[in-house]
Amino acid sequence: MKKITEFQIRISPDSVCSMLNADRSLLADEMREELEEMLSEAYERLEPAAYLGFGDTEGFLYGEDQLPGQEALYVICTVGERLSSWSSELFRQGDCVRAMLADAAADNCLFQLDGQLREQISALCREHGRGIRRRLEAPQDAPMRIQKKALDVTGAAQYGIGITEGFMYRPVKSVCQVYLLSENPEENNSEHDCSRCPNTSCRMRRSPGDVTEPSVTVITGEGQRTLPFVRGKIILEILRENGIYIAALCSGRGTCGKCRIRVTEGTLPVAAEDRLFFEEAELEAGFRLACTAFPEGACTVLIPDLAEEKEFYVPDIGGKETAADWPDRTQEGKGSEEAALKRDGRAAACEAAPGRGGGVNAGEYGIAVDIGTTTVAMQLIDLRSGKIMKAHTALNIQRMYGADVIGRIEAAVKGSAGELKECIRQVLQSGVDSLTEGGHVPVSRMVIGANTAMVHLLMGYPCESLGIFPFRTYNIQRIETAWDSLSGQKGLSFPVRICPGVSAYIGGDITSGLYALGFHERERVSVLIDLGTNGEMAVGNRERILAASAAAGPAFEGGNLACGTGSIPGAVCHAAWKDGTLCVETIGGEEPTGICGTGILEIIACLLEAELMDETGRLEEPYASEGFPVDEQGRIRVFQKDIREIQLAKAAVRAGLETLLDEYGTAIDEVDEIFLAGGFGYELDIGRAEAVGLLPAGCAGRVRAAGNTCLKGAAAGLLDGESGKTLDYIAGLVREIPLSGNPKFSELYMEYMCFGEEE
Amino acid sequence: MGLIEEISEFLQKGRSKKIKELVQKALDENMDPKVILNEGLLSGMMIVGAKFKNNEVFVPEVLVAARAMNAGLALLEPKLAEVGNEPVGRAVIGTVQGDLHDIGKNLVGMMFKGAGFEVCDMGVDVGADAFIDRAEELGADVIGMSALLSTTMPQMQECIQRLEERGLREKYIVMIGGAPVTEDFAKEIGADYYTPDAASAAETARNAVMERKSA
Repeated sequence: MKKITEFQIRISPDSVCSMLNADRSLLADEMREELEEMLSEAYERLEPAAYLGFGDTEGFLYGEDQLPGQEALYVICTVGERLSSWSSELFRQGDCVRAMLADAAADNCLFQLDGQLREQISALCREHGRGIRRRLEAPQDAPMRIQKKALDVTGAAQYGIGITEGFMYRPVKSVCQVYLLSENPEENNSEHDCSRCPNTSCRMRRSPGDVTEPSVTVITGEGQRTLPFVRGKIILEILRENGIYIAALCSGRGTCGKCRIRVTEGTLPVAAEDRLFFEEAELEAGFRLACTAFPEGACTVLIPDLAEEKEFYVPDIGGKETAADWPDRTQEGKGSEEAALKRDGRAAACEAAPGRGGGVNAGEYGIAVDIGTTTVAMQLIDLRSGKIMKAHTALNIQRMYGADVIGRIEAAVKGSAGELKECIRQVLQSGVDSLTEGGHVPVSRMVIGANTAMVHLLMGYPCESLGIFPFRTYNIQRIETAWDSLSGQKGLSFPVRICPGVSAYIGGDITSGLYALGFHERERVSVLIDLGTNGEMAVGNRERILAASAAAGPAFEGGNLACGTGSIPGAVCHAAWKDGTLCVETIGGEEPTGICGTGILEIIACLLEAELMDETGRLEEPYASEGFPVDEQGRIRVFQKDIREIQLAKAAVRAGLETLLDEYGTAIDEVDEIFLAGGFGYELDIGRAEAVGLLPAGCAGRVRAAGNTCLKGAAAGLLDGESGKTLDYIAGLVREIPLSGNPKFSELYMEYMCFGEEE
Repeated sequence: MGLIEEISEFLQKGRSKKIKELVQKALDENMDPKVILNEGLLSGMMIVGAKFKNNEVFVPEVLVAARAMNAGLALLEPKLAEVGNEPVGRAVIGTVQGDLHDIGKNLVGMMFKGAGFEVCDMGVDVGADAFIDRAEELGADVIGMSALLSTTMPQMQECIQRLEERGLREKYIVMIGGAPVTEDFAKEIGADYYTPDAASAAETARNAVMERKSA
């Protein structure tokens, strides 16, 4: 018998809110705010405990589980009475909102307890000279009365765990698991075996690994493939396992509606989620979401083309010449791309002394790479002139495991690490093929800048500790490797350098960006804001740099917006009132096709100005229910939910920036230059950004659009023989200020949730 | 917009503070508390319920609206008692004996209130006779039982049997719900209604009671 009370529980607002389906609701942010206000009391009420004991299984098991002399480890864990009963108390007080949040928060704690026990359970069994054959849970895998047995075996009753005549525990947020032991200490099946669970509609169901006969035929733009599958598997999983790309921004939770497929032969049952995204006629035409489609037998499905994915964000990174134009290796680089590279002091310095310390030979080329969560950008650089010869951008097809870093980490931990690694290798390989004309251009080195999670997935590092508090990394040092070992292909090879990072959330992409902008050489304090899928920020100079990462989400890149799009031709990028009508401009002056990050900010500034939206972000009717029409036909609209997305993102960025400035002991007025990185920065009207409160007032004149600073840093790193040491130096200069759980940040976050300057 | 419409609008948006203000204002203006309840709070709640059913809004919207309604009711209830308001119906609800899970039952209670019921929530681990005794005492119309696991589902049958033994079965509308409960099970044990969620439970109860009263 053993009692464990040491746990590190961090209630995850994301998980709690998604348990209440809040991520689909306009009130998502309000729910989150309420939850944040509840957290300190939740932790105060939480009294986690687990009781463990070994025992027999007499009378409980049937069939193949019933082996002679079967032994089991019984585990009861609980979050304690005070957290358990909180929901009921709140219900009695009439606050059903907080009551539901309290209930979901308690469940979230319970899941974490279970997760954190896993290792100790395996260790305890090993000590005992046993492995784990199977995990049972009542009532799915064993009768409820096994919970009484568990109570007796673990002795949990003496610690106040009660049981009812229906074999339920008191406190109500207590659960029981029974681990059947195995003679083989190496066996470790401590996960619940979903394949034998009768609850087939469970959202957390994982599918088994064995293969049976039926197959699904998949038609993509590239052709047709027939894939065998296991019953109980969803289409999305089948596609992922076979490396067929489909966007699943919500990681397959049925909430984003992006993984549209169409069944053309055979049938796929209509899921509840399908009804949220498809009209009756579309359902009849065979449209389904891949993430909720369980094939029952053979069927044929159509996957829409990659190009149709609207929010595919392609930043312009130069290098538009075709191969025929560029082998002019004698010419001193005077092209516009080179000028773009030059704008940022660092690269210019490198370019001024070609081959400095690196022993670069004429005619050698390097490849600079930015592995972003959404896109991968690559450039072929002439190492002698510093000129960008060719560029390549591609979607990071890991998106089929989720739009954000968290979704990918979760997928990796759940066993898809190999597939994720393969995804990014594929993307890099086709980039190298394209830049080198299939290996005909001699490449002598590559520098990669990427966030910490992308590096972990690329290198195949374990990601377990990356996604959970306290967010430990496996390795964030600079990595020196070679292309053949990275790509897994024999033949073409050259050294590859991966920029060092600072922490789980401040990665090599930021180090690379700071390097590109020469922060480590600056005397005056400057600011870097990188508005990608995560909003990273840094404040500092050559003496010290503070950095933070705020969960901004993809809204600034046009993601998660009903009519959102990347910065592509036709994207609405500017808006202004003219005689009472909203006039919009699009990129390239084309017919509007969607709204990009700058566009939505400007529209919001206009709505605020015309008082069609109040400072809390609430749209006036009828726009709150119908959306505000942006184009003449009203096809493109801004919905209340879009405004919420931007509101959350801008509050996170602004509060993060202010927290950093405060920690640094400086004020925005003292700052020399403010670099806005990411495609977003290019078109941004600074006055408008100030009007909605994304940037503090008075920034205009000091804000610089810096473009893809990570890629620029990688390119500069190719040219600078000392870049390895310099990058290490910068990584050492940076200190991360954690924002989650930071009271200053939380306070500011609430404050900046409203639009307009400080009321 | 009239005050009553405003109450309905803000209830749908779940603005508790505003609802308190408006209900107080309506009372100060000597409006009929029944009108405030039926045409303000309850009508707003019905709209939210309908939108929820059509997938136009989700759980959080229903929750904030219900919370706002509770805030308004707290002010309104004493006045309603003064004028002798008759609720749509009276319901005795609880989680059956041996079962401690109350979240589903609590949601049902919340939605019942939103449909104009007077609700007596007996909590968890409630015995068959306790349900009946309380229903008799209050002159209830509905007995609602919840069970989370198949081990405690038979308690529902027990309650129906006791109603029959005591000659009271016809007096009450018996409704059941909970994760493992099904329509078939409801038929098998002779319950009047099973609904899969709290919102439809309230709607079903309201219709059933009104039908009975008009008959």
